[in-house]
Amino acid sequence: ISQNYFENRSKLITEYRETENINPYPHKFHVDLSISAFIEKYSNIEPGQQLNQEIISVAGRVHNKRELGTKLIFYDLHGDDSEYDFAKIHSTIRRGDIVGVRGYPGRVLQGELSIFSKDITLLSPCLHQLPTPQQGFKDQNTRYRQRYLDLIMNNSSREKFVIRANIINYIRRFLDDLGFLEVETPIMTPTPSGAFAKPFITHHSDLKRDIFLRVSPELFLKQLIVGGFDRVYEIGRQFRNESIDVTHNPEFTSCEFYMTYADVYDLMRITERMLEGMVRKITGGCIVNYHPNEELSHDDDKVMKLDFSSPFKKVDIIPTLEQNLGIEFPALDELHTEESNKFLKQICEERKIDCKSPRTNNRLLNKLIQKYIQPTLISPTFLIGYPLFMSPFSKSHRDLPYLSERFELYVATEEIINAYTELNDPFEQRERFKEQDLEREKGDQEAQVTDEAFCTSLEYGMPPTAGWGLGIDRLTMFLTSSSTIKEVLRQTELLGRYLNHRFNAHTIRPKSQYN
Amino acid sequence: MNTLENKKSENNNPFRQTKFTRSSNSQKIRNSFSQFSQEELAAKKEIVSIAGRLLRIRNFGNLLFADLADQAGIIQLKVGKNKDFAELGIGDIIGVKGVICKTDKGELSVEVQEFVLLSKCLRSLPDIHYGFNDTEERFRKRYLDFLINAEKKDILVVRHQVIQSIRHWLDQKEFVEIETPILVSEASGAQAKPFVTHHNKLHRDFYLRIATEIPLKKLLVGGFEKVYEIGRIFRNEGIDARHNPEFTTIEIYQTYENAEYMMNLTEELFHYLAAKVLKREEFAFNSHPVNLVQSFRRLAMVDAIKEYAGIDFTQINDLTAALEMAAQHNLKLAKFQKTIGQIILAFFEEYVEKKLIQPTFIYDYPVEVSPLAKSKPENEKIADRFELYIGGLEFANGYSELNDPIEQKKRFAEQARQKALGNEEIASFDKEFIEALEYGMPPAGGLGIGIDRLIMLFTGQNSIKEVIAFPQLRSKEKVSENFE
Repeated sequence: ISQNYFENRSKLITEYRETENINPYPHKFHVDLSISAFIEKYSNIEPGQQLNQEIISVAGRVHNKRELGTKLIFYDLHGDDSEYDFAKIHSTIRRGDIVGVRGYPGRVLQGELSIFSKDITLLSPCLHQLPTPQQGFKDQNTRYRQRYLDLIMNNSSREKFVIRANIINYIRRFLDDLGFLEVETPIMTPTPSGAFAKPFITHHSDLKRDIFLRVSPELFLKQLIVGGFDRVYEIGRQFRNESIDVTHNPEFTSCEFYMTYADVYDLMRITERMLEGMVRKITGGCIVNYHPNEELSHDDDKVMKLDFSSPFKKVDIIPTLEQNLGIEFPALDELHTEESNKFLKQICEERKIDCKSPRTNNRLLNKLIQKYIQPTLISPTFLIGYPLFMSPFSKSHRDLPYLSERFELYVATEEIINAYTELNDPFEQRERFKEQDLEREKGDQEAQVTDEAFCTSLEYGMPPTAGWGLGIDRLTMFLTSSSTIKEVLRQTELLGRYLNHRFNAHTIRPKSQYN
Repeated sequence: MNTLENKKSENNNPFRQTKFTRSSNSQKIRNSFSQFSQEELAAKKEIVSIAGRLLRIRNFGNLLFADLADQAGIIQLKVGKNKDFAELGIGDIIGVKGVICKTDKGELSVEVQEFVLLSKCLRSLPDIHYGFNDTEERFRKRYLDFLINAEKKDILVVRHQVIQSIRHWLDQKEFVEIETPILVSEASGAQAKPFVTHHNKLHRDFYLRIATEIPLKKLLVGGFEKVYEIGRIFRNEGIDARHNPEFTTIEIYQTYENAEYMMNLTEELFHYLAAKVLKREEFAFNSHPVNLVQSFRRLAMVDAIKEYAGIDFTQINDLTAALEMAAQHNLKLAKFQKTIGQIILAFFEEYVEKKLIQPTFIYDYPVEVSPLAKSKPENEKIADRFELYIGGLEFANGYSELNDPIEQKKRFAEQARQKALGNEEIASFDKEFIEALEYGMPPAGGLGIGIDRLIMLFTGQNSIKEVIAFPQLRSKEKVSENFE
């Protein structure tokens, strides 16, 4: 049916072009004001009143066409922000067309603000049938692949992107006011370092070498700190060659900042100030009601109340695990040993927690945290007390050397921030990289890759520094109450089955592949 | 290295330091205290805590002077006889508490009362005196470049200022910034060779985007009326003084407007950045002084060729005459260049481009090289498109956006024909884009500017490497090609 509509409409438009000699895709239509500005300006008009002398031009997409007999047609016109009724006579216009309307404002007796149009111009026809609001979208995939349809049909979708832009603006302004400099570091790098993730690999034809897409800008930003910049940040795209799910997309946006002469405790205070301020600015209050299953149900049991007022709660990993599991854990300075590995494996087996190989201490502990701590972290909570071996770039705790000076911030059970006092001792950094190499030999493909250039830079001296990273997509998800991360990203790629590309002769596949 | 082992064992390990609280920095001290005399400062007894890197140490036995550098600048330290301080080396990072003073020679300084070693420099820094100028080493160890050549940091500061100002300017005009995907199915929206990568779990390949145009136009279909994106673009091409494989562009789209409007917007932006942000009228670029606050000249391409090369293409109406003109001028044409429009462009590139020093808009481009631009109503062979030239280089590109899906399909087909004739720089067919246009995209104007090149203009740099924090380098063997 939809193919018929497309063919018929295309034929009609072509005829229109030929018989009426009018261009259905004209070059310019002068718009006096946006639809939302129109509504604001003329909201005072009384029902039945018309301002015949004020001729103005607006434009937008037709969302509804209601015909009252043959003489009167009402259109709902959507512009950037709002929808309103317009009255006009014309037969070629269909639902979905973009039109320009010139007329005068008035309010019909039923009370709706309208333009009584003198003429209407087709600016761009819609050749396909738009889904009706009742139909909605048959499947999620269409909604994401043809994102523009989702945006046309749901004003709230557009709103989410505006909120996202506001969130990012807020972060920039907050950091700029603290004297930070925004910089851009390479996305394509010889060493994919700075985070636990599998990288994408590509090939530069001219240089004849493989390069990786960055998993984090951390090590470049720290080299800038060595170079004498005191406060730097970067908001940009990171890439992880992993499975896709509701909170993981192959590319995502993060903000990382580095601040000299500060430590992890300073960062906790900065985090509280930034997030509380942001939530207040965007929502007017401190509480966000997050509906994780927005699309599937309107079940109020599923609302998570997120309270962003500071101070945020702190949860200490090992003591909390001990409490929730009812078991005593090995001492902090033994958590990295073989015995502890056996201990952790045993717990996971007993409680049927699946940890795929390699079952290293790092990965087993992560699983326990995921199962026994994460689900309880609803309002913003600092998770602290990470063992040092799980944090290869963090300085060791100033009082407890087997712990790191690190926190993660969890909201609605998901991690959104990771921060620590940075390790600046080049000897120790090299040791930590060696430990990561051992993890990789055991089979952990996400283990950190040794970055020689970074280690060398530390040998020139990096001041004591604290660093911080935030996942912007996840934060936006909570503040716009979207249930999946795809809501927040633009036109993400189709999941699942996809036809393979045929490649042109000039693209070269990378020599080595991560599996 | 010995000293480090000693320090560590003395329980004085500098790498155990986690925090130092500063009360000021070099610039703030200068701003607030330069105006006072030696006596006035001695009376004030103003105490400060600052931190930074030691760049120079001059030890006179009883008295020691050192330069302390932080992000804002350099300030001199004055230290009485102190054996611990004398053990410090160039490059060490220290925190200092002391009194602001002036030396007998009138140099503003901080007289050190206490200090702490915050991080040790284990390698020797290049000598400040002789400078650090080896272009290869500078970019390989970029942090050293920033340390030794402070003015290189300033370039990144200007970059931040300019980009931040552009955002602010657009936000004030109610534009919304939106991030579109970098990993894409089609490398469309420009003519360039893309990078390709592979997603393991999805078992498919992705391209890295070569432009942001197509997804931003899809957003216009979605109902956004004013959008922009400042973001990273990737082109799998050679590296030279003006090209880095990844670079930054801004693209701006506004519905119900056209090329002329975007031309005005471009000029307004340049005027704003020069006059209000950088507060200068003239900039030295590519060996020429250019004035960015004057009114920008506007010239149709054929008129520009007439003016700068004396050739009048308005008189040339058929292909034979155009080919003859090319032959007369010894202009070599590839197979795909044998259309009137391509020949006009070839003449423009050969004879005119490099002469456009002061800011000049060139408009009315051949449609064959403008596959995404609307044709002019009065002549379908000419695209309603413009470019901005400054110092002989292109800075901006904009047009009335083509929104007719049938016409767009024809243009893609034409591009494919050109490709078959050997043109590597063609726009690839984007089926999903056509489908989006079929839902109706409002008439709109669009504009693209290369941010790196813009920063080169504002900071007077001839190599793109200077304006990028960590530029891509060739392997060690082919070093000289980096800088051609």
